[in-house]
Amino acid sequence: MSELLRSYLTVGIFGVAAIAMAGAMLTIARILRPSRPTRQKLIAYESGVDPVGGDWAQSQIRYYVFAVLFVLFDVEAVFIFPWATRLEVYGVFGLVEMAIFIFILLLGLFYAWRKGVLRWV
Amino acid sequence: MMQLLTAQSVASFPVLNALIIVPVVGALVVVLLPNSRPELMRPVGAIFAAIAGAFSLYVMAEFSVQDPGFQLQSIQSWIPSLGINWHVGVDGISLWLVVLTGLITPIVLIAVDPHHDPKPYTAWLLLLQAGSFGAFLALDLFLFFVMFEIVLVPMYMLIGGWGYDDRRYAATKFFLYTMAGSALMLVAIISVATLSSGGQDITFNVIELAQRQALSTNTARLCFLAFVLAFVIKVPVVPVHTWLPDAHTQAPTAGSVVLAAVMLKLGTYGLLRFGLYLFPEASVWAAPTLATLGVIGVIYGAIVATMQKDLKRLVAYSSVAHMGFIVLGIFAFTTQSLEGGVLQMINHGLSTGALFLMVGMLYERRKTRAISELSGIQSAAPIFAGFFTVAMLSSIGVPGLNGFVGEFLVLIGSYETRRWWTVIAATGVILAALYLLWAYQRVFHGEPTADDEKTADLSLKEGLVLTPFLVGIVFLGVYPKPLLERIEPAVNNLISHLEDHSDYVQPDPGAPVVVERDHGSKDDH
Amino acid sequence: MGSLQLVGFVGPSVNWWALLPQIILLGAALAVLLVSALAPQRASTVFTTVTTLCAALTSFVVALGLWSDVKADGPSSSIASAFGVDGFSIFFTVLILIGLATTALLSHGYLDREEMDPPEFHALLLCSAAGAIVMASANDLIVMFLGLEALSIGIYVMIAMHHRRSEARESAIKYFVLGAFSSAFLLYGIALTYGATGSTNLVHIRSYLDAVVFQDQHLLMAAMALLLVGLSFKVAAAPFHFWAPDVYQGAPSPVTGWMASIAKAAGFAALLRIFFAAFASHDVDWAPIVGALAVITLVIGSVMAILQTDIKRMLAFSSVSHAGYVLVAVHSASATGTSAALFYLFTYTLMVLGSFAIVGAMGPDDEHPLSRYTGLGRSRPVIAIGFTVLLLAQAGIPTTSGFIAKFQVIAAAVESESYFIAGVSMVTAVIGAFMYLRIVMAMYVVDEGEEGPRPIWHWTTSVVVLAAVGFTIIVGLVPQFLIEFARDAVPVLVRG
Repeated sequence: MSELLRSYLTVGIFGVAAIAMAGAMLTIARILRPSRPTRQKLIAYESGVDPVGGDWAQSQIRYYVFAVLFVLFDVEAVFIFPWATRLEVYGVFGLVEMAIFIFILLLGLFYAWRKGVLRWV
Repeated sequence: MMQLLTAQSVASFPVLNALIIVPVVGALVVVLLPNSRPELMRPVGAIFAAIAGAFSLYVMAEFSVQDPGFQLQSIQSWIPSLGINWHVGVDGISLWLVVLTGLITPIVLIAVDPHHDPKPYTAWLLLLQAGSFGAFLALDLFLFFVMFEIVLVPMYMLIGGWGYDDRRYAATKFFLYTMAGSALMLVAIISVATLSSGGQDITFNVIELAQRQALSTNTARLCFLAFVLAFVIKVPVVPVHTWLPDAHTQAPTAGSVVLAAVMLKLGTYGLLRFGLYLFPEASVWAAPTLATLGVIGVIYGAIVATMQKDLKRLVAYSSVAHMGFIVLGIFAFTTQSLEGGVLQMINHGLSTGALFLMVGMLYERRKTRAISELSGIQSAAPIFAGFFTVAMLSSIGVPGLNGFVGEFLVLIGSYETRRWWTVIAATGVILAALYLLWAYQRVFHGEPTADDEKTADLSLKEGLVLTPFLVGIVFLGVYPKPLLERIEPAVNNLISHLEDHSDYVQPDPGAPVVVERDHGSKDDH
Repeated sequence: MGSLQLVGFVGPSVNWWALLPQIILLGAALAVLLVSALAPQRASTVFTTVTTLCAALTSFVVALGLWSDVKADGPSSSIASAFGVDGFSIFFTVLILIGLATTALLSHGYLDREEMDPPEFHALLLCSAAGAIVMASANDLIVMFLGLEALSIGIYVMIAMHHRRSEARESAIKYFVLGAFSSAFLLYGIALTYGATGSTNLVHIRSYLDAVVFQDQHLLMAAMALLLVGLSFKVAAAPFHFWAPDVYQGAPSPVTGWMASIAKAAGFAALLRIFFAAFASHDVDWAPIVGALAVITLVIGSVMAILQTDIKRMLAFSSVSHAGYVLVAVHSASATGTSAALFYLFTYTLMVLGSFAIVGAMGPDDEHPLSRYTGLGRSRPVIAIGFTVLLLAQAGIPTTSGFIAKFQVIAAAVESESYFIAGVSMVTAVIGAFMYLRIVMAMYVVDEGEEGPRPIWHWTTSVVVLAAVGFTIIVGLVPQFLIEFARDAVPVLVRG
């Protein structure tokens, strides 16, 4: 067997071992556990309370927009903090870079505002 | 494109390039004609096809009889990065096929009315002519492949657009079968060019590749098989013939005629030009097998033709039989057999072309091709029956007509090197008489029904259209010398090339006793 | 603060010219958004389309300037060797800009017809194009990944923009989830590459691999495998192709065209730059795997294509099989193979954009049954013949660019003595041809009296189709110029 194939053999053995282990665990569990299904046991478990309604519950879409906007500006903050600690080192170059960065993000905010996303109707 | 082709100043008029360009220009002109004038399409197309035909006659006149090599060559650089040139030339083997292509297309354009959409019909036929010219003239493997493949598209469109009920199936089968054959040929073409280059610049020049013979025996044999696969499908040789009856039967008359007269010849021509010429050793190696397939084609085609109920299908299967003869002739490797093979390509084009035209005319009158529904046509249409008889007798190979000359040469030439093959193939001649005469008897003799009584005889136009075929049939039967003397130098050249590059030696044609000196190579099987 | 020593910051030298093409595109994207936000009424389609076209044209001129620089001074790189300026990057920049202009033209009629919001679409398209250019030019795996994400995120949203159609949303989700999945593979591969070679910079990786012989190269092998998987997803190579038919079918047709052409081309650009340029010394390791992928892709693409009934799904599988041809060229791991791959991508892009232009104009995107094309040859002969040319070109019939492309791919395979793969690619070409013939057949073979469809066309679509068909035929007849361009565009890694 060539060196190349042998190095792949390791991968293969890992794969086989993974499948065998998962398979063994599931099989053993299946053999050992008693199986007496009742209607009660088969319904979805929700904190000990019987579930109400379907599992595709709707939530207010507006929260989603806010979540997206929050993530956006959160990222902005993440970028600004490390920049701020080294501001002196970066000098004018860093200032301009950050200005461009903030400008583009502000443009996004402005666009969102103009599109009426920020209004809670 | 135009500029590219005419850029190089050639000493004489580059007539071979003109052959390819004129029909293309014609197709463009037809496409640009206004749709409101449908009656203009076919005449304009026929004029361009006829100009190309006239050029092909000019090629014939310019052709030097004694020169065995390629004549009127024209080379232009095309894709220098890949070593590809636009290289065309004509020799004794391709000359008559070019003339046949040049003459058949205008006749077909005049003869057959497509009934609908005349513009694309005319344009496709012209492109078919251009592609066929290109395939017969190409001396660059790349150019040949381009032309060999491109002719599929017009034929596909003709079958699909103007064919009969089952045209979808037939057209697709035709296209895919032929494309499948040529798929591996492309790999072989590139392999031959790459492996022959040997560090030098890569070339697809057929003449140079044939001279170099740089491939090892096994590689050459593999490449040869890839080429052969493409060509035997095109010929077609049994067992890869099944596309042919469908394509012929479903194609419109014009498609059938061009398919039989011109396109099938691409297969046999390819075997000669690219099989024998490029791979002499491999050809000798594979000759017994291919000759056997040819003979099987002769017998099988004849037997199946006997059992056909449809007149057009019968003619289609007779094509399989005739092409089998040609394959036998090619792989017998003697001067006569090769000459006969080349001549038979022309003969088959004339006789089968005429038969397909007439079956088409019959269909126009009666809207049926079933043999059982036709009877006693002779009394209603005596001239038609007469014309049909001549074409049929030529197809059978009756002495005095062209078919006899070709088949006789093939048989006499093959007898020297492939005796038993020849004996079996000779029975094919008898079978041809059987199925054609029997069909003739059922269709033209007997008691005409009321429908048969009303079958109109040939009109003047139809008679004029058929006359060139009949003149050719009789002329070649009586006086084939003009053809043979041009074919012979090229054929002898090919055989000596074969002898130079393999252990094959042609038996002395004059010697009364046949010595099979290529015994060693045959025993490989 | 006093203890902190202030050291003057010296940034890497930046060749702004080299970055200008994508800066122009991003600037145009911002401008489109800003104007549409400021404008009192809805921004018109004409404005956005013209802006995009102008941006593409300006970038194009800059790219041509860069090309002459490269011709004169040789390839270079910028921003600490992270961004390459060579024939390769400019080849793809030109290709992507052509794709951008085409897609902008195609979307023009489409956005109006489907009542979609033009500024957002165009802004995303411009960002996506800039990402693709970055991806093709990046000499650093991290930068390449940034480009890939910019390209992909734009596409995710563009697919979903048709918000009234659930198919569009479905395909957007599918593409997003699988795209994120493949990005993870790619990132993992980048991380392992860093582990194996100590750098994410392709120039450094190349010189490291050239100099060092590994005693144990498991890590590098795993890295290459993961990179290959990640990029195979992006170019829709089997067995990582299964998203393609669903996504192509559900997406708006101009976006499908963009995905099938430019997203694929950018993916291959990354693949070639990483494997052919950076991992060149280990081609013995990766070339066989790429060859196997190529064979699987060719077979699956062509066989599955003939089983489809929906035109967009057919074209999706055909684009899978085209990825297979490019992989055959990549497999040969030679300059010939790479330029064959580039030639193939260039011609294929035009073919597929033209095809999807026609598909998009034929009617709404809900489904594209074959019957929609019945009789098109009679009712709209010019469109039908154009579509026929594009389809036959994809089947590789001579006198079209597709044939020259296939020819070069086969030649590259033969040159590297991969006869089996060359044979497989030709045989699958025949299988695939059946599918193209079915479409051609539907257009031309009609029964008496059957009337064909008469789709409403915007003139921009005609321009695109005409250009695509013209290009396909011209390159099919006189391909020399494009072959030379592709030969000059083999990637070069230069420290800068």
